[in-house]
Amino acid sequence: MVNVKTILLTLALTGTATAQTTVEFWHSFGDAKRTGWIQARADEFNKANPGIKVVPSYKGSYNDSLQATILAARQNKAPALVQIFEVGSQLALDSGAFQPVSGIKAVDFSDYIKPVINYYTIGGKVNSLPFNSSSPVLYFNQELMKKAGLNPKTPPTTYSGLLKACQKIEAAKLGATCFGMSLNGWFVEQWMAQQGASLLNNGNGRQGRATATNLDSAAAKNIFSFFKTLQANKAFTYTGKLEDWDGSDAIFTNQKTVFHITSTADIGNIRDAAKTSGFTVGVGVLPIADGTKRNGVVIGGASLWVSKSVSKAQAEGALDFALYMTNTKNMADWHKLTGYYPVRQSSIELLRKQGWFTQSPLQLVAFNQLTKTVPSPATAGGLNGAAIQTRKIIEEGIQKVLAGQSVDAAMQETKARADAALNEYNANFK
Amino acid sequence: MLKPAATRAQPTTEAEERAVFRGVALPWAFLLPSLLILAVFVYLPALQTLRLAAYRANVILGTERFVGLANFTELLLSPAYRQVALQTLVFTVLTVSLGLLSALGLAWLASRPIRGANTYRLLLIYPYALSPAIAGTLWLFLFNPEIGVVNQILGSLFDVRPRWLDTPSLAFGLVTLAAIWKGLAYNIVFYLASIQNLPGDVMEAAEIDGASGAQVFWRVAFPLLTPITFFLVFTNIIAALFDSFALTDILTKGGPYTGNAGATTFLVYQLYQDGFVNFKTGAAAAQAALMLALVAFITWMQFRVGERQVHYGA
Repeated sequence: MVNVKTILLTLALTGTATAQTTVEFWHSFGDAKRTGWIQARADEFNKANPGIKVVPSYKGSYNDSLQATILAARQNKAPALVQIFEVGSQLALDSGAFQPVSGIKAVDFSDYIKPVINYYTIGGKVNSLPFNSSSPVLYFNQELMKKAGLNPKTPPTTYSGLLKACQKIEAAKLGATCFGMSLNGWFVEQWMAQQGASLLNNGNGRQGRATATNLDSAAAKNIFSFFKTLQANKAFTYTGKLEDWDGSDAIFTNQKTVFHITSTADIGNIRDAAKTSGFTVGVGVLPIADGTKRNGVVIGGASLWVSKSVSKAQAEGALDFALYMTNTKNMADWHKLTGYYPVRQSSIELLRKQGWFTQSPLQLVAFNQLTKTVPSPATAGGLNGAAIQTRKIIEEGIQKVLAGQSVDAAMQETKARADAALNEYNANFK
Repeated sequence: MLKPAATRAQPTTEAEERAVFRGVALPWAFLLPSLLILAVFVYLPALQTLRLAAYRANVILGTERFVGLANFTELLLSPAYRQVALQTLVFTVLTVSLGLLSALGLAWLASRPIRGANTYRLLLIYPYALSPAIAGTLWLFLFNPEIGVVNQILGSLFDVRPRWLDTPSLAFGLVTLAAIWKGLAYNIVFYLASIQNLPGDVMEAAEIDGASGAQVFWRVAFPLLTPITFFLVFTNIIAALFDSFALTDILTKGGPYTGNAGATTFLVYQLYQDGFVNFKTGAAAAQAALMLALVAFITWMQFRVGERQVHYGA
């Protein structure tokens, strides 16, 4: 009896398997909330398209999943669709394991928010489909600001504005440090773009392979000097560990800092934690260097890449699913769930119609910051195959300034190390 | 794996002694399954690593260029790698020596005939059940300079709030301390078992002869514990070299950067960074080869010292 059943089941399964195109989708969301959302979209898509079976699976961190994809591709077993983080873009491109999504079939990209699609457009081709995108904003503790005699309606928008507010906070003796954030190279990339300055030579690595960083520029010096002043005034704190997002969020939500900078993707979590802790959080634009116009932000997050070695049917299935998952309604939904930007103009319209921005006005600042971004190589973001390493080198440079080293010495050392990392990467192509 | 303590040799019968395989094929057939598994999961990857160490390679790009011994000379000449090696040495010496001393002391105290001895033993052993990742997270919470419990206490008592994670010496000390604490339970289990197996008559004889508590410990118990101490020294060295990875990754990410490298970046963390974060596969393979040589040397030392110095009793 059991045997007959097993045989029938096997037959049924092989029967459907041959009729279907399977699309493996590897992503890096390990939490139930986001994994569940992706699985639900896949189920809907599979139901609507009986010929395609999308199988999403969590493949560990962005780094692990990139490596797993490449190794699978070498054995012709690559997943059709992979989520890859923005610093891995050049590396993914250089690996030759992926194909530009714009080459699979004609897709209308005009609905995508300009700075987002710009990041992923390389050499005139849209390489990957934007998925989870965010940018940094200023978070502030409204009650502590009032106690220090500051107006939460007009949060600082520049370095000097922030430093001035810090003096008032210091004078008010609140038992809290003025400002804190996770040390992450991502913020330095943003602050360079805001000043309209490229982080890398050769058009931010977009006209040709980047061979040197612009870490000796005046724009970079503004950023390093800002941290020097913060250090000298004892106006900055963090956990001491690099890229410690959770630790620095916890310092802010425990009211040990008045100002905080982190990703827009954390608005929901921080708002809730602030409520528990008993204060009202405000959100403002990213404070930038003085004496420059606001050029806007570089997108951070990840995008969806289609493997080169898969069949035409799989590639099309992968793209169709990616487009479905990021359609107008789904992106608006994704934004409400996670706080990531909905990457389409039409999704923003939909959210506006639904009255989302009056319900959660904190998000509006983030949107304006993104939609007002001036397109340029600087705001398109730097491309560099050693970006994971150079980002860390920049963080270590800032850390040295915070430990008391002079700005010039720290900048010189940081540039030398970052340039060496670029050269070492580029030597792979000689 | 090592035997923690010598088992008394049983008298063997003549038949057992003469039980040898006839022919060559049969023993190999018995060995074949193990050899196959070892070949696939150990020997082949090790050979592949040795090969890669001679190339400038990047696993993502799939590029490989033969560079001979350049990876090794670069590593050995690099001030960053030398600093990492020196840090690893200091870290290993500290965790092994302080770790074993405190484990021995605690195990000695916990094996005294006192009320609630079982509870003490349980509390001493439980950290072994924690994964290094969880242990790291716990320490990270405790030593958060702004909101961690440690600084709240230090702040209210002495008005000092040390920056544990970005002061190089403090971060190094913290990781060392965390590693000692994490390894403590493992060492205590072995010491407890050995102390309970110490021959009671010898100890009693010493006490009757008028030896003080300290004398009984240092002159009688300690020498009888050398086999287990010897075993623990080597397992602890290996643990300090390799298992420190998760703890550093979570607690400090190898930082803070000082001199030419992160103050808590040890050999295995450097290898991970180069191989799996920055994808410098060739350089990472060369580091793996150096660590292989190191482990080979330690194993050789273990056998050599083991034969000459350790008293296994009769």
